[in-house]
Amino acid sequence: MDVRDWALIAFTILSQMAVGSFIILGIVYFFAARKWGEEQADRLSDRALLAIGPVLILGTLASLFHLGNPVNAYRAISNLGSSWLSREILSDVLFIVVGAIFAFMQWRKISTSATRNIVALVAAAIGVVLVFSMSRIYMLRTTPAWDTIATPISFFTTTFLLGALAVGAAYVANYAYIQRKEPGCADVQCEILRAALRGLALASVALVGVHLIVLPLYVAYLSASDVAAANNAVNILMDDYSLVFALRLVLVFVGAGILGVFLYRNASSPGREKIMSNLAYAAFAVVLVAEVMGRFLFYAMQTRIGL
Amino acid sequence: MANQLAFYFDVARCTGCKACQVACQDKHDLPADMRWRRVAEYSGGEWVRNPDGTYAQNVFAYYVSVACNHCEKPICEEVCPASAITKRDDGIVLIDEDKCIGCRYCEWSCPYAAPQYNEDKGTMSKCTLCVDYVDAGQLPACVAACPSRALEVGELSELRAKYGDLAEVAPLPEAKLTEPAFVIKPSAKTKPVWAKEGQLANPEEI
Repeated sequence: MDVRDWALIAFTILSQMAVGSFIILGIVYFFAARKWGEEQADRLSDRALLAIGPVLILGTLASLFHLGNPVNAYRAISNLGSSWLSREILSDVLFIVVGAIFAFMQWRKISTSATRNIVALVAAAIGVVLVFSMSRIYMLRTTPAWDTIATPISFFTTTFLLGALAVGAAYVANYAYIQRKEPGCADVQCEILRAALRGLALASVALVGVHLIVLPLYVAYLSASDVAAANNAVNILMDDYSLVFALRLVLVFVGAGILGVFLYRNASSPGREKIMSNLAYAAFAVVLVAEVMGRFLFYAMQTRIGL
Repeated sequence: MANQLAFYFDVARCTGCKACQVACQDKHDLPADMRWRRVAEYSGGEWVRNPDGTYAQNVFAYYVSVACNHCEKPICEEVCPASAITKRDDGIVLIDEDKCIGCRYCEWSCPYAAPQYNEDKGTMSKCTLCVDYVDAGQLPACVAACPSRALEVGELSELRAKYGDLAEVAPLPEAKLTEPAFVIKPSAKTKPVWAKEGQLANPEEI
């Protein structure tokens, strides 16, 4: 593992977190606006929306460190006809552009909310294409450990898990800011915050369930394969990195599962905002570490057929 | 002009001397740790009990000299995001270093480890089948250098008509992955692709 590999870990984790956050933010906004009105939903979401930009830009910049010849980076979209890497970079750029247009319109309240919703939906769809393209890059027929349905499933699970918990942490930070700056609306915002965190906590518990079902099936599938490269990938996971793998499973279970349940319970009744906020931060931090470890292991399991 | 140029390799003739590999490094002025052509050693064997209680050994070893196979379905060209890899009309697969972004995706994908990363330039490089020599009607450096005449170059269909269409033996990958323009004449001890009775003896040289 050198700088180049860490560049890919940073790029894939950050851009997946950005896509997940954007979509989750949109879903929560939809429900919040229906119940509490657009103005309150804007107060909940707008600062979190702007925070996605730097995450996405940082991830994209990190990807340049993976290149040996970054002056030619613009050429990366030259093979859309057959290279998923080209498709990934194009959708990354489009997601940045359309996402930025939406964020600017939303921030300045340009045009109608219906028009803004359409722009947001387009950006979300591009984000899904981005994560899908990203997973297809690794599904090379010469790398059996990557060429399974587990790659897109786990990429999308990571996308929405990190998205949900990042958005939760952003809401909490936003709420603390509102309490200081606009105490008048803090009561309604507190109610929305608690409802949103309950939903996000439920989502993260469900998503960690997906991880914990897919991972054992994936390892069993590779072990049973008669392709040596697939078996070797399992050996790397179970022998060379068994501790990292165990820690990754424990951390994602603790962060998204156990802290998720606590978060849900503390968000269910008023007066526990302090502990609820700390739980939201902690769950995000723990799951972020767990997902980085998971992505590290994904790259470590690269075993190619042949020489 | 040929439709698909290809390498031919005779396993029985190869002594593992690596003259091909060194001739290639010399022709292309490669750094010592970069080998566009490599000689894989596949070996194995053990003691086997005979019915009468005595033991005999079935030890074997053979070499496979492999460069870029200028595949008919080149996965490197398929995945290269920069369209820096192209296939000429005569089948030769080339990397244009001026277009390469150095993402190393071709290196990930190729089951023959043909595309290799040049740390100094930050770009990929690989066997060109000595395209300048070919265009001048000469033999590639590796073929010309082989003292036991184990290597040949020619039109794929003609080589297949002459020597058969085997393109996969241990420790190479299955030919169906990339359809290599490669014709192999096996020796008596050559093991089939996916054989488990031996192993690559010199992974550090590949």
